[in-house]
Amino acid sequence: MSDRAQTPEGGTPIVGDDPVYLNDPIQDATVRMLLELAAQVWVERERRLTLEALLESKGIVARDEIERHIPDAVLAARLKDERARFIEDIFKELRRVSLNR
Amino acid sequence: MSTTPETLPPLARRSDAAYLDFVEGLREFILGKGADFEERLNGALERTASSRGRPWGDVEEIREFVHALPLGRLRDRLARSQQEMKWHAIERSFGEQRAQLTAELAKWDERGPGRLLLDPAFVHPAYTNVHFHLQPGGYYKDELSGFLYHYGTKVFFRGDNDKDELHAKLVGTVPTPSDGKVNRILDLACSIGQSSTAFHRRYPEADVWGIDHSAPMLRVAHRRAAMQGDAVNFAQRLVEKTGFPDAHFDITFAFILFHELPPRIIDETVREAARVTRRGGIFAIYDFTGTEGKSPYQRYHRWFDARHNGEPYSQDFCDCRLGDILAANGFEVAAAPLAKRAGGTGYMQHWFATRV
Ligand SMILES: C[S@@+](CC[C@H](N)C(=O)[O-])C[C@H]1O[C@@H](n2cnc3c(N)ncnc32)[C@H](O)[C@@H]1O
Repeated sequence: MSDRAQTPEGGTPIVGDDPVYLNDPIQDATVRMLLELAAQVWVERERRLTLEALLESKGIVARDEIERHIPDAVLAARLKDERARFIEDIFKELRRVSLNR
Repeated sequence: MSTTPETLPPLARRSDAAYLDFVEGLREFILGKGADFEERLNGALERTASSRGRPWGDVEEIREFVHALPLGRLRDRLARSQQEMKWHAIERSFGEQRAQLTAELAKWDERGPGRLLLDPAFVHPAYTNVHFHLQPGGYYKDELSGFLYHYGTKVFFRGDNDKDELHAKLVGTVPTPSDGKVNRILDLACSIGQSSTAFHRRYPEADVWGIDHSAPMLRVAHRRAAMQGDAVNFAQRLVEKTGFPDAHFDITFAFILFHELPPRIIDETVREAARVTRRGGIFAIYDFTGTEGKSPYQRYHRWFDARHNGEPYSQDFCDCRLGDILAANGFEVAAAPLAKRAGGTGYMQHWFATRV
């Protein structure tokens, strides 16, 4: 990705990556994960509400059909990828907890 | 009225848009009335000052007080996170479409009606190498910087600028020179050209130039203007060394540029603006209000923004007296603060300076 080094001329010194604001880095990571989680919940809800509205308006799928549906191989693979992305989004925060206090 | 084409490329997925919509709402909540951090923290600061019978001194004293409060530290954590989340989502979503977006830019580089002048030998001065507002790669180190910036500012303005309304409004309030002559306009640090095209629409007969040091910004500016059919020219130049002839422009404009320049360059840029603006012409500036008269919390927020939101020069800018610098360089200044926008750092003011 892009070059991370910066070269400001004077001014207010800018803080480094991943500053710790709370009492210890684990608290910061916890808040970050909570925010990510909230974002992911919203993302899901937005999609589901859209989907359900579409399905309903077209008279295509009844709700309990979704409940009982068993994914085929293609969908199963996609779900796995999406799950990895979901986990990465939230728990990438763990990599940012530094070794030293 | 013709509808303007959408110039902001779509994100890779619907879920990216939903994620960023969430961040926009979160931002509104944290910086505005939702969490009400500003009122509560400022209240604590003011009560403390009055009970001890001494106003707040330097910002370091305010910082110590805010950081001793769990609420203050949590606010900082949240303020930093919403910015990081925004860039994380935008960078990944556009990054996944890197090949198409790069090709898309190349497709428009040579098209009109306006011209795009890039300088392949351009050297970025070291002071410009800052990741302002934590944008990954800053303004110029990623070829997609212009697209990242466009989406980032869309979220920043929280829906108020989705159709460049804010740019149109600010450009619309710039006074016309008293002799009525507007043949040439210069938009300093035009980024993706939203003010430049607004000027073109306001003065369709004028020759409008937008300059910026960032080629990725200018390519997006050019593509956007070309898609909209706006005949605006863009060139890769420094604001402190524009390369235009003396007294060339009737209006020179700078929207939220100065707080991102070190003091030395602020001086040079005002001098350059005085050189290229003709007598009787207008130099119109919109930027942050000064430190004077700020509440203790607003002073804290300025410091936080400088240190934790990649704005190293903003504190010095707010502490300087831009009006005096303009006056010392041959401008006559009328300044008035703009109405306060709810939440955020958006306390802006304008300086409408006439070249004498
Ligand atoms: C906050 S943006 C300005 C927004 C823009 N004026 C508008 O109307 O939307 C700051 C811009 O200043 C540019 N910039 C910073 N220093 C510069 C310099 N010395 N010369 C030219 N452009 C500069 C950056 O590349 C960036 O695009």
